[in-house]
Amino acid sequence: MNCNDCEEKLDRYVDRELSATEVEELKLHLEGCPPCADRYQFQSHLSRLVKLCCDQDKAPPAFREKLRQILL
Amino acid sequence: MAESPARTAFAEEALTHLDTLYRGALRLTRDPDQAQDLVQEAYLRALRYQHSYQQGTNMKAWLFAIMRNLFWDRYKGSRKEDVSLDDVGEFVLYDKLRDEGAKPEADVLDKLAASEVVEAVEKLPPLHREVVLLVDVEGFSYKDAAQTLGVPIGTVMSRLHRARQQLQKSLYDYALESGIVRANGTKEVPQT
Repeated sequence: MNCNDCEEKLDRYVDRELSATEVEELKLHLEGCPPCADRYQFQSHLSRLVKLCCDQDKAPPAFREKLRQILL
Repeated sequence: MAESPARTAFAEEALTHLDTLYRGALRLTRDPDQAQDLVQEAYLRALRYQHSYQQGTNMKAWLFAIMRNLFWDRYKGSRKEDVSLDDVGEFVLYDKLRDEGAKPEADVLDKLAASEVVEAVEKLPPLHREVVLLVDVEGFSYKDAAQTLGVPIGTVMSRLHRARQQLQKSLYDYALESGIVRANGTKEVPQT
């Protein structure tokens, strides 16, 4: 695998959408290629950041209770 | 009138996904009252069409699909123009930041405010925003996201790709505006 292949597959690696074989190939490449490993760390960090910032909101307790009254 | 045990059990299970639905509705409508309204209607519809849910399949995805379909029924009539995404070209934040001389993770990602990240997501057109919500925020597989949105997996991937480019561009613009990085120059690291 070269750096272009790696870059092309990085999103799917971060999203856990690669096959087991592809994951092994990509891991091997990352172990031997610091620039790609840095790029991976960055993308992975960015993805975690988006999740962390956007999944803080919970349904307000009063709304949850209202729904329970309506639905149950 | 007492509800049947089967209906009650179904409603109980459906309510375990309330936070996911509420978050999704909040990000789509960008308004807490509208989000609650949308989610309530989605739950009522889910109960009405309970028979069409197949036991053992992904209930969260099924409920999300109902909620986003309701959103689009309402949305389509009002703000069609907001559907498309500006073409930012191939924008890769990592490359851009390296070009600016910054350390992309330590100098920039660690300094972004959560509110700015949420704002960048909410600035995406809803068609692209919903893919980010499903895959990045709720951790849906491409396959489940495709099923929820009623599109092929390839469409999920291409929308996700474009959405992430736009997201990275928005975060870069914010980093510039707030002085976290300087265009075409050395990094500036304000002490916060």
